[in-house]
Amino acid sequence: MILVPITYKGGVFRLDEVIDYIEDLGGYVVQRHNIASEVVLQVLMPQADIENLKEFSRPLAGEIIDSPLVGTEIAVVIPSLEIHHLPHSACDVAEYLRANGSKSNILGMARGFGKRIAQLNDEERDLINEHDMAVYVLGNFASCIEKKFPKLRRGVTVPIILTGAPARDVLEEQTDPPVAGYVGGLGRFMHRTQTGEDIERLDAVIAEVEKVIAKRRAEIANDPLSVSPAKIQDIIKQQLPEIEEVYSPSPLAVQLNGLRVKLSYPKYSDIIRNLVIEDDVKIGDVADVLPSRMRDYVLIRIRPLSETNIVV
Amino acid sequence: MAGLDYFEVEATEDGADNYRKIATTVLQDHNLLSIVEGLHLYIDPEFPLFVATGLIRPPRSAIKVSDVGNVLVQDGKAVIAVGDETYLAAMLKMLWDRLGHDNVDQPDRFTVIIENVEIPKDVENWIVIDPSESLFKDLIYAIQVIAPEGFKVRRENYGKNRFSYAASENTLPEKDVAVIISDCFEKMDKALVEGVSE
Repeated sequence: MILVPITYKGGVFRLDEVIDYIEDLGGYVVQRHNIASEVVLQVLMPQADIENLKEFSRPLAGEIIDSPLVGTEIAVVIPSLEIHHLPHSACDVAEYLRANGSKSNILGMARGFGKRIAQLNDEERDLINEHDMAVYVLGNFASCIEKKFPKLRRGVTVPIILTGAPARDVLEEQTDPPVAGYVGGLGRFMHRTQTGEDIERLDAVIAEVEKVIAKRRAEIANDPLSVSPAKIQDIIKQQLPEIEEVYSPSPLAVQLNGLRVKLSYPKYSDIIRNLVIEDDVKIGDVADVLPSRMRDYVLIRIRPLSETNIVV
Repeated sequence: MAGLDYFEVEATEDGADNYRKIATTVLQDHNLLSIVEGLHLYIDPEFPLFVATGLIRPPRSAIKVSDVGNVLVQDGKAVIAVGDETYLAAMLKMLWDRLGHDNVDQPDRFTVIIENVEIPKDVENWIVIDPSESLFKDLIYAIQVIAPEGFKVRRENYGKNRFSYAASENTLPEKDVAVIISDCFEKMDKALVEGVSE
């Protein structure tokens, strides 16, 4: 069963029925945002049933939008968290990714600034590798990016999108080995992205991210996961009431091939491994429960069918 | 850029336009557009080197107590009726420092009373804030924000009405930088003189 990422926007009136409907058809609500009297649900839904959901929610004035970034966690990597790098390019990119359904984290390097002196340490590298992909937001000069980028990408195994002020083909030409995507015309700026031109650039980032995510999804589909990350999320929500007491904005962050659980690894790893998915299949049988480098959180990596010979 | 008579960004490779935008936004955010008369940025990403040189307009005159509010001296008390709250906090701090915390009271938002001490005759003329004192500090701070992060090797100079700032992540070759700085000033002076004669 292929789950398709969509966003549902609607009012609170009879919302519980909509959620029940989604869950009855085998879909999962990955994230829920309440914005005043409006609710935004990020949903993974079986392809065949999307039409039915549209039909069901029409009298409630619910809106269903395709959003390929739902169920992904993306790192926005910047050279530092200083005022030089933060407002507004990185913030706006991260916010725009979020608005498009992804869960985005900004990662500022401890010593990533400068050209010759830029560094990436092991913790930062591992943290980036815990995401589905990374968007690098770099600066204004081609020669700087050329020298600096190889240092900031060392050891990063997830797909990278490189953004900067130089034109796309300049970035593409000077990057060796090539990365998954490029966006030119962005770079460092100190104003908010408000003009149409600015928004177009952010749209270009989203288009590039969607391309990379689609490719990753296709790769995963070749050797499907033993269980959908959204299903594990559901099981943890049902069987581990402690998750309700976590005050992070998203206690369970769904990724393409796993999820981040914001509970202490030493305390909960064994409990999570032993949660039952179906009959006698436990989470530990189909997934690796690993310590995350983000605080002491838990990172679940789901193993593919070829390794486990189980599909639940 | 509005407010500046001269503004130029010189870069050894493409990207000067972006720094133009950054400098405009930063000076605007720091309220410095009316103070800077001319600004010349020189950027060499290869070395890497960032140089800023600028001319400053004559600073505004100092803010006195009488600019903040009317002073009425009566029965050994001085009552300041605050007219402009912008510098009220700075004035209170100055009065507390000079007359003692117990002797200066602010019973409501627009009234400050000085009592229990001999009222200085020239209290009206006491200086609350001298903008020219902090001007260069503010300017250099703004230039630091404009300059790329990580350029920790810095040399900053300011004289009567001009300042220069050079920064890099490598050691600065003193002679070369001095040549670049004087070159920038020369260009700026020339353009401003031509602009006036036109």
